Amino acid sequence: MIDVEDLSVSYGDLQALDGVSVDVADGEFVTVVGPSGCGKTTLLRTIGGLESPTAGRVRVDGDPPEAAQADARLGFVFQDHTLLPWKTALENVTFLRRMAGKDPDAAGARDLLATTGLDGFEDARPAELSGGMKQRVAIARAIHLGADVLLMDEPFGELDEITRDEMGVEILRLWRENRKTVLFVTHSVPEAVFLGDRCLVVAGDDAPGRIVGEYDIDLPRPRDESVFGSEAFGRQVSRVRGALHDGR
Amino acid sequence: MSVAQRVPVPGVVLPVSGLFVAVAGWWTLTVALALPPFLLPSPAAVAARLAGNPDLYLTNARTTLQKIVVGGAVGVTVGFTLALVVWAVPLLERAIYPYLVAARVLPKIAVAPIFLIYFGVGFETAVFFVALIVFFPVVVGTAAGLDRAPDTHLDLLRSVDAGPVRTFLAVRLPHALPDVFAGLKQSVTLAVVGAVVAEWILSNDGLGSLILVASENVQVDVMLAALAVLLPLGLLLYGGVALCYRAVAWQGVG
Repeated sequence: MIDVEDLSVSYGDLQALDGVSVDVADGEFVTVVGPSGCGKTTLLRTIGGLESPTAGRVRVDGDPPEAAQADARLGFVFQDHTLLPWKTALENVTFLRRMAGKDPDAAGARDLLATTGLDGFEDARPAELSGGMKQRVAIARAIHLGADVLLMDEPFGELDEITRDEMGVEILRLWRENRKTVLFVTHSVPEAVFLGDRCLVVAGDDAPGRIVGEYDIDLPRPRDESVFGSEAFGRQVSRVRGALHDGR
Repeated sequence: MSVAQRVPVPGVVLPVSGLFVAVAGWWTLTVALALPPFLLPSPAAVAARLAGNPDLYLTNARTTLQKIVVGGAVGVTVGFTLALVVWAVPLLERAIYPYLVAARVLPKIAVAPIFLIYFGVGFETAVFFVALIVFFPVVVGTAAGLDRAPDTHLDLLRSVDAGPVRTFLAVRLPHALPDVFAGLKQSVTLAVVGAVVAEWILSNDGLGSLILVASENVQVDVMLAALAVLLPLGLLLYGGVALCYRAVAWQGVG
C-alpha cells in the first residue's frame, strides 16, 4: 500500500532523510519511532505529499502522493489537532470530506463520533473539548474522509499519559473496525510497540535520518491495557529501545 | 475587587449614569457661573435648538451619513481588493507597500485643498476624500489577516488537495476576520472624521458644514446640537460594525 524506495529529502543544506526504504502492506499498522528531529515526521509528510523527495520514490497504492491526495486516499492526523475553532465537532468531522469535494455524510459522521465516545458533543466547539476529545474528533475526521491510508504524526504527543494509553486502545479498535493502513509516528517506544504490527526505528539527530532497525511486534491482538504489564511487551520495548540507543 | 464587580448592575446602567452626571455638571456650571450662552450654553438651550428645528439637523445628518456610507463602501471595497492583490502577488506587495505606508503617514487633510482644485466642491469630492481616509486600515488589516492561517491548517487542506479557492474561503478568510474587522472598526471611526473634514473643505452641506457656519457666527448652541447628533451617529456605525463581527466571527465561511 505504501512503497518508499531509497528516499532522500533535503531542505537546502540540511539533509533530513537519507536513503530510506519502507514497505507497508495493505491493512498493516506500522509505527515509526525515533528521537525528536530524526526525520520521522519528514518521512510521514513526504509519503503524504506535503514534502517533496530530493531523491528516491514514494508510491501510495501505486500512485504518487499527489494523485492519492487528489482522490482523498490519505488521511492525516497531526500532533496539533488542527480542528477549526469556529466549527462544531460534527462540522469538523465532515469538513475534510467537503474540502475533498465529497458528500459530507453528516449521518455517518454522527455515528463515528458516537463510537469514539463523543456522543452528545456533536455541537460542541473545540474550545469546549478536552485535549483527548479534540484528538478523537481529529481521528474521526481522518477516518470519515474514507481514506485507505492513515498517516499519524505523533497524534497523542500533547496528551497526558493516561489519556495516551486510552487513545492507543481506541485507535487500535478503530483500525480493526475500519481496516485502514496506518503509518504512526511517535517518539514513545512503549506506544510504538503497543500499537504496531511492525516498528521501524529511525535515528539521526545530527546526521540525516535513516532506518536503523525494524521489529516485528509479535504481541497477540486484540491488545488492550493489560498488554502494558506483560513480560513479552517489556521484552519488545527493551529490544526497540536498545536499537534506538545503538543508532545514536 | 472593584465596586462595579461587586454590585450586580446591568452593563448599561453605569455608563448612562455617568452621562447624566456629566450633563448635570455641565448644567450646574452654566447656571452657577451664569455663563453667557455664546461661551457655553446650557444643555437645555442645546436641546431647545434641536427641538426648534429638527429638520435642519436631520437633513444635514442624512447628508453626512450618505458621505460616510458611500465613501466608506468605496474605501472598503478598494481596500479589500488592494489587500487581496497585494497578498496574492508578493512582488506587488514589495513594490506598493512603501507607498501605502507613505499614504498613511501623509495627513489626508493636507491634500484636501488639492482635491478642491481638481474636483471642486461637491458630494463626489467628499466621497473620494472619505474613501481615501478609510481604505488604509482595511488594506493593512486584511493583508495581515490573510497570512494568519496556521501552517497546520493549510497542510490539512493540502493533504486532500483542496485547491486555492476552497482553502481561501474555508480557512484563510475566517482566520483573517479578526484583523479585517479590527481594520473596519478603525475605518468607520475615520469615515466619520473624514466626512466632517470633507464638509468643512470640500462641500457645503452636512453636519460638518453646519458646525463650521455656526462657528463663524459664534453659535455654540448650534455647534453642540450638531455634535449631539453626530456623536450617536458615529456610535451607531461603530456598533453596527462590531455587531457584524460578532455575527460572522464564529460562523466561518464555506
